[in-house]
Amino acid sequence: RLFSAEKVIHKDWALPNPSWSKDLKLLFDQFMKKCEDGSWKRLPSYQHRSTQISEDFKTYFLDKPLNNENKVSQIVQLFTRGFEDGLGFEYVIFSNNDEKRTVCLFQGGPYLQGVPGFLHGGAMATMIDTALGSCATIPGGAIMTANLNINFKRPVPLCSVVVINSQLDKLEGRKLFLSCNVRSVDEKTLYSEAT
Amino acid sequence: MLRTGFQVAVILGHHGALPGLTHLLPRFNPASAFGSSTVTLVSRVCWEMTESKNYALPNASWGPDMLSLYHEFLEKTKTEGWVRLPSFRSNRDHIQGFKLPLKSSANSDKSDSRLFTRCIEREGQGYEYVIFFQPSERKSICLFQPGPYLEGAPGFAHGGSLAALIDETFSKTAYLSGEGLLTVNFNIRFKKLIPLGSLAVLNVNVEKIEDQKVYLSCVTQSRDQQTVYAKASGTFLQMQLEEDSSQH
Repeated sequence: RLFSAEKVIHKDWALPNPSWSKDLKLLFDQFMKKCEDGSWKRLPSYQHRSTQISEDFKTYFLDKPLNNENKVSQIVQLFTRGFEDGLGFEYVIFSNNDEKRTVCLFQGGPYLQGVPGFLHGGAMATMIDTALGSCATIPGGAIMTANLNINFKRPVPLCSVVVINSQLDKLEGRKLFLSCNVRSVDEKTLYSEAT
Repeated sequence: MLRTGFQVAVILGHHGALPGLTHLLPRFNPASAFGSSTVTLVSRVCWEMTESKNYALPNASWGPDMLSLYHEFLEKTKTEGWVRLPSFRSNRDHIQGFKLPLKSSANSDKSDSRLFTRCIEREGQGYEYVIFFQPSERKSICLFQPGPYLEGAPGFAHGGSLAALIDETFSKTAYLSGEGLLTVNFNIRFKKLIPLGSLAVLNVNVEKIEDQKVYLSCVTQSRDQQTVYAKASGTFLQMQLEEDSSQH
């Protein structure tokens, strides 16, 4: 965990590392090919949010200024990027702006366990929230989750790779409605559906 | 049921009386028609004397709000039948001697796997929480203090971190109330953001048990109940654990 501050801030985590399984790497390569004609884009992922996004957030979503008197250490980082390689969330999101949909490739590591041998429902929920959020940002800009509903069909084995397909269903004023499904790599198994 | 009774006797005999449970034993606890009674389930899950570290205990990172509410509930474990649930690094530690009736792939038996809500070791950096369960009313309270590693929006806890903890509290409550094991449905409505380092109180209730499913609800609010952070509901599938003869 002891990185120099510089490296940590600028590292793009949405790239292959040794903990990525063969399945994940294969899918990554397939989607990188799709990026070549410009219809798909790989979204880079940093551990710390840029100051611009933080400022936008404070303008749009906070009613009153934050008081910074927490006693806890000030090393803050994005929840889904706070783990060492392979132990937590290994994921990369590809976005198709024209079709307003995103695909998230996700490999859940051993620190995300719930029921022994399987991925924690809450870890899946976090990932689904992240994937839907990435899709909502395409038209939405600065966004916040209001409601999340997930139907789990099958438990996801720990350390396996799943594909989260998200799409925008409709836009009503300031509200965005999205849905997604979580499937296995071969698309044969449906793990969950969410809105 | 004879075998179950024997198991309870063995577990209690081995570990001595579990705090908070002794006065429950003489009373009949009609939990669910599914299988084991609440008393059996609580004793199965709450191992007091074990090598695994119990994370549901105060440490230096707990703020004053969390500490005082914790002590309030600790008092209630002595007088009103509440049970403080121990919390281990992996759910495997909770169900020693049992296994799931599910096939999981061979390589996921790693000893380095951790329960998601206990994944961040450093005190105060990730999840600080403790769950108190009230068997006779089938409800739980979880005291939650999110650390900086759980950040989503700047200065606030990630919605997913709260969702995961609600799912975890649901799962413990569902299991102890009626052997609910796997999440079937989970719904969460976010109302307000939780500032990092502050205390959030999760009130979980079992709404009903029907059709082999346990239905629960949760309201997450500030200690004074003036701020509601989120409301959630979940459904869990009832499943009985099998004895794991390979572990004895």
